[in-house]
Amino acid sequence: MESVIEVREVSKSYGKVKALDAVTLSASRGEMLGLIGPDGSGKTSLFRILTTLLLPDSGRATVEGFDTVSQMTDIRKRVGYMPGSFSLYQDLTVEENLSFFATLFGTTVDEGYDNIKAIYSQIEPFRKRRAGALSGGMKQKLALSCALVHRPTVLFLDEPTTGVDPVSRKELFDMLEPLRSQGVTILVSTPYLDEVRRCDRVAFLSEGLLRGTGKPDEILKEFASVFCPSPLQHEESQAASPDNVIEVSHLVKQFGSFRAVDDISFSVRKGEIFGFLGANGAGKTTAMRILTGLSKPTSGSGTVAGLDINTQSEQIKSRIGYMSQRFSLYGDLTVRENIALFAGIYGMKDKDVKAKTDILLETLRFTEHRDTIVSSLPLGWKQKLAFSVSIFHEPEVVFLDEPTGGVDPATRRQFWQLIYDAAARGITVFVTTHYMDEAEYCDRISIMVDGKISALGSPSQLKRQYGMPDMDSLFTYLARKATRTE
Amino acid sequence: MKTFLSFILKETRHILRDRRTVMILFGMPIVMMLMFGFAISNDIKNVKVVLVGSSSDLRTQAAVERLNSSEYFTVTHVAGSPSEAERLIRKRKADMAIVFSQNYANHSLDGTAGIQIITDAAEPNMAQQQSSYLQQVLSVGADASAQPVNLSLLYNPQMKSAYNFVPGIMGLLLMIICAMMTAVSIVREKERGTMEVLLVSPARPLMIIVAKAVPYFVLSMVILVCILLLSAFVLDVPVAGSLFWIFTVSLLYILMALSLGLLISVIAETQLVAILMSAMVLLLPSIMLSGMIYPIESMPKVLQAICQVIPARWYISAMRKLMIMGVGVRTILREIAILAAITSLLLGVALKAFKNRLQ
Amino acid sequence: MRHLLLKELLQLRRNSFLPRLILLFPVMIMCVMPWVMDMEVRNVGLAIVDNDHSLLSRRLIQRVSASSYFRTPSLLPSYEEALRWVEADKADVILEIPQHYERDFGRGSVPTVFVAANAVNGTKGSLGSSYVTQIVALNLSASLKRPVRQAEAVSFSPLSLYNSHLDYKRYMIPALMSILVMMMCGFLPALNIVGEKESGTIEQINVTPVGKLQFILAKLIPYWCIGALVLSVCLLLSWLLYGITPQGSVGLVYLLSMLLALVFSGLGLAVSNYSDTMQQAILVMWFFVVCMMLLSGLFTPISSMPPWAQAMTRAIPTRYYIDAIRTVFLRGGTLTDILPQTLALLCFALAFCLWAVLSYSKKS
Repeated sequence: MESVIEVREVSKSYGKVKALDAVTLSASRGEMLGLIGPDGSGKTSLFRILTTLLLPDSGRATVEGFDTVSQMTDIRKRVGYMPGSFSLYQDLTVEENLSFFATLFGTTVDEGYDNIKAIYSQIEPFRKRRAGALSGGMKQKLALSCALVHRPTVLFLDEPTTGVDPVSRKELFDMLEPLRSQGVTILVSTPYLDEVRRCDRVAFLSEGLLRGTGKPDEILKEFASVFCPSPLQHEESQAASPDNVIEVSHLVKQFGSFRAVDDISFSVRKGEIFGFLGANGAGKTTAMRILTGLSKPTSGSGTVAGLDINTQSEQIKSRIGYMSQRFSLYGDLTVRENIALFAGIYGMKDKDVKAKTDILLETLRFTEHRDTIVSSLPLGWKQKLAFSVSIFHEPEVVFLDEPTGGVDPATRRQFWQLIYDAAARGITVFVTTHYMDEAEYCDRISIMVDGKISALGSPSQLKRQYGMPDMDSLFTYLARKATRTE
Repeated sequence: MKTFLSFILKETRHILRDRRTVMILFGMPIVMMLMFGFAISNDIKNVKVVLVGSSSDLRTQAAVERLNSSEYFTVTHVAGSPSEAERLIRKRKADMAIVFSQNYANHSLDGTAGIQIITDAAEPNMAQQQSSYLQQVLSVGADASAQPVNLSLLYNPQMKSAYNFVPGIMGLLLMIICAMMTAVSIVREKERGTMEVLLVSPARPLMIIVAKAVPYFVLSMVILVCILLLSAFVLDVPVAGSLFWIFTVSLLYILMALSLGLLISVIAETQLVAILMSAMVLLLPSIMLSGMIYPIESMPKVLQAICQVIPARWYISAMRKLMIMGVGVRTILREIAILAAITSLLLGVALKAFKNRLQ
Repeated sequence: MRHLLLKELLQLRRNSFLPRLILLFPVMIMCVMPWVMDMEVRNVGLAIVDNDHSLLSRRLIQRVSASSYFRTPSLLPSYEEALRWVEADKADVILEIPQHYERDFGRGSVPTVFVAANAVNGTKGSLGSSYVTQIVALNLSASLKRPVRQAEAVSFSPLSLYNSHLDYKRYMIPALMSILVMMMCGFLPALNIVGEKESGTIEQINVTPVGKLQFILAKLIPYWCIGALVLSVCLLLSWLLYGITPQGSVGLVYLLSMLLALVFSGLGLAVSNYSDTMQQAILVMWFFVVCMMLLSGLFTPISSMPPWAQAMTRAIPTRYYIDAIRTVFLRGGTLTDILPQTLALLCFALAFCLWAVLSYSKKS
């Protein structure tokens, strides 16, 4: 087989940190090579070296036979690249973005249309909308269209599906299939196991070292401790408390003529872990913002911790914790300062804070990092810390908005252990997630489709009710019923 | 070429979509021009004078009348003693005081009549001018034909401040729009990650940069035209010299500002740093050391030397000569040569420093 | 509240750039700017065309050359040549002595010299020409053999209050202080909340029970301290470098400057609340600061403005500050002298801070 991507003994370091350490790797034409590994393992650096954005310290890499150092221009003509952060211009419309990237690569949308039809036809109805106003899944589809419009022969995708719901993720990967048959080589990194399984081969990177390459199943088995941690043991709904912490009835939130949240009613019991699922744009985040007092509902009523969401939103805030999708601690403060800040905001006493901080750092095994600036911690650590801070003042409910985006399964498992500990202490957990294995960890879940709740119950009960083998197929089944166009 | 055009289109859209910034970009020159044209001036006007002594005798009254009838002075208070006058000045009720000697009227004929002028020298220049104006006003009438000096004010006979400020504003605004906006817009792409994709595309980096600069270039030209129109039709500042050369020199200056912006964008990693850098490196020296407000000749030698490398200094000087004095291009050859040298130096460094790759 | 404040201070300290900026910028400005902001007209370039070549004209040239206002004058053969010098920026004022200058003088009439000044820069033109005028008159009266007492002759004796040496630096120091307070307390807060918006941490704060007032106050106070720090640096440097100290009480200087700091940090935070990006915030703030500086009487006297502009300045807080600080700093005024200005400034400070609090919305 012809080898399209060749990486020979490539090393790269930033100061003292070795991002890549003598990595050797190759991919042949039409192959989909998965790049997996924990956050900070050097995946992005490898992408950047292959796309000629970075110079390797040592070693050699070629793409399509061209050297990444000396034949930069030849490579740049032939590759498509989708970086991890959204690479779109938020203030340009969908159409403008696409035609800009088309001309950038010396082609037009019409010429490249066949190549991207499958993907682009889905977002075409919104072509006049600004990219910034699209939902996460839509943005990724648009970004992929932009990367594909010039018919590249090699495609580099750096975590293309982070923050994207399972249905859109599947669609995105389905779109990649026909490309492979056309001979396009794809290098993709992803934290999702189902996506890893769809690759021809995967390479596992950790701390800059290539730990192994091979068939997805082999690698997953070989490194099971990282990818397939033993499932958490969780006894279902222990002594379901009769008190409801969250009660919502006929909640509506309307933007113009668009009903983001369309008449939902549900309740969450004390000490429960409640999973709040839904596709991108189904209205999850909007509902969550109402419950946390960030916005007012158009109509409907509800209580959180016994307080009215319409009139007592400020009082509610002192009884809840919140951890947002975007990393929510101050990156320029140290671990301890962040804890002290948020504890202080919630009016905790200094003495208690000090004692509790020590215990917390002990349990997180962070003691030696307590004076580290938060922005220099790895993503998984930050997430654990952010969660611990959000429940530090012992709130009645904690709201978690996609708390585990972009980290490997082992880290996610550790995170869920923290959630269980919190629930055991009587803190109600209200969580949104795109990981279906995490959905299984919840006591009860709801699935939102088109602004309405279409299913509500415990995971096992729902699977039985719809006759589905796992959460994934259940979610796909319900989410595909969506009719509204955002 | 097509890629180039689409780049420009994209950049133009970015600019136009940010309404607030566009409003400021166009509002700023207009407001500044109007303020400098109508509100801001160093002219001596409406100076409040305190009269010390009695105003009852005829000669004093004549003097008061003369003061009041001039557009410069108004007698607002009469004080009993100089110390009372000083109190008034300190309370900002008056700007200066005149004290007639006790027997002013009686001694008018023997030459011992004296007037003491008490000025508020907190502002030394104004004080000097006020005092000399006052002397003029009070001594006119002696013998009009016997003036030892026949004065002619060249280029700006009405002594309007706007004549002096218009070239300065041009120098300042073009610098902000071109350098600061270009720098910020490039750094923003770096920050948001879109630069990565641009770099991976086959488009030449040089083209990316040039295309980024073009809309700002056009914007500055539009603003330049606005300023010129405003100054000619609203402020009555004549554009005396050749339009062709005004635009040519401005073009050179804009090019210089763009290269500076590019250089900043290469160095700065975040928008905040780019903004602060442009403010510190560009704006402040352009205002303070360009001769726009403060005369360079009055500065110490060291600072005068620094002034020589401030591009705005040369642009403003060239514009004053071209626009206001209306002299030929021959007299500004030096300015043009220096601007061209600075431009090519900056552009060279910026292009050399611009990276095809990330760090 | 205490914790929020601590957070702001820590963030300020952690930033690698800001602390240096806060300390070095005032030092740099105070060291350089008083030399730059010198409106005194000195070193005027003078071109002399002497068509008379007489004793009187030579004496005049000598007197002019001896004057400290002018650079060594250049003697040129013709007016046209002199005009070319003006065009080339080599001379600012032309003094042309006509033929028969001495002869006319000897006949008892007052001969006239011709003075042409480049008036593009009005101040320079008028001061330069008035210097020449003075010297010409002096030359004539000194050359008179028998002093004639003209009937209308009045002797003037000018007395300069508050700044007897006519030292321009003394005048500029309070202005510089106000510029620095405006910049530091205006721009930094303008970037603050927008920064939190762009990094997303503002959302985390919005779901906590923190009150609007607390949050904004915690942001205001550090800038207030920065204002005090900047002011202290200024006062110290002006004393050390230029030997200039306030004539009035230092306490009043602080009181006024702190009020100004409040006005601007309030304005800055309000602008920040409304902006979506840093670029927007900085441009809007810049616009406000420039307008306020120009209309405050900082550079040019308010009395020279037309009535409508003077009316506008009443709505400009800096106007009251400049008025009051000059009275205290230069004229040695007391609180009673500046009471109205202080009250006006206080009202503005409260209004702007209130605006900052109200414009911050915990909902999005």
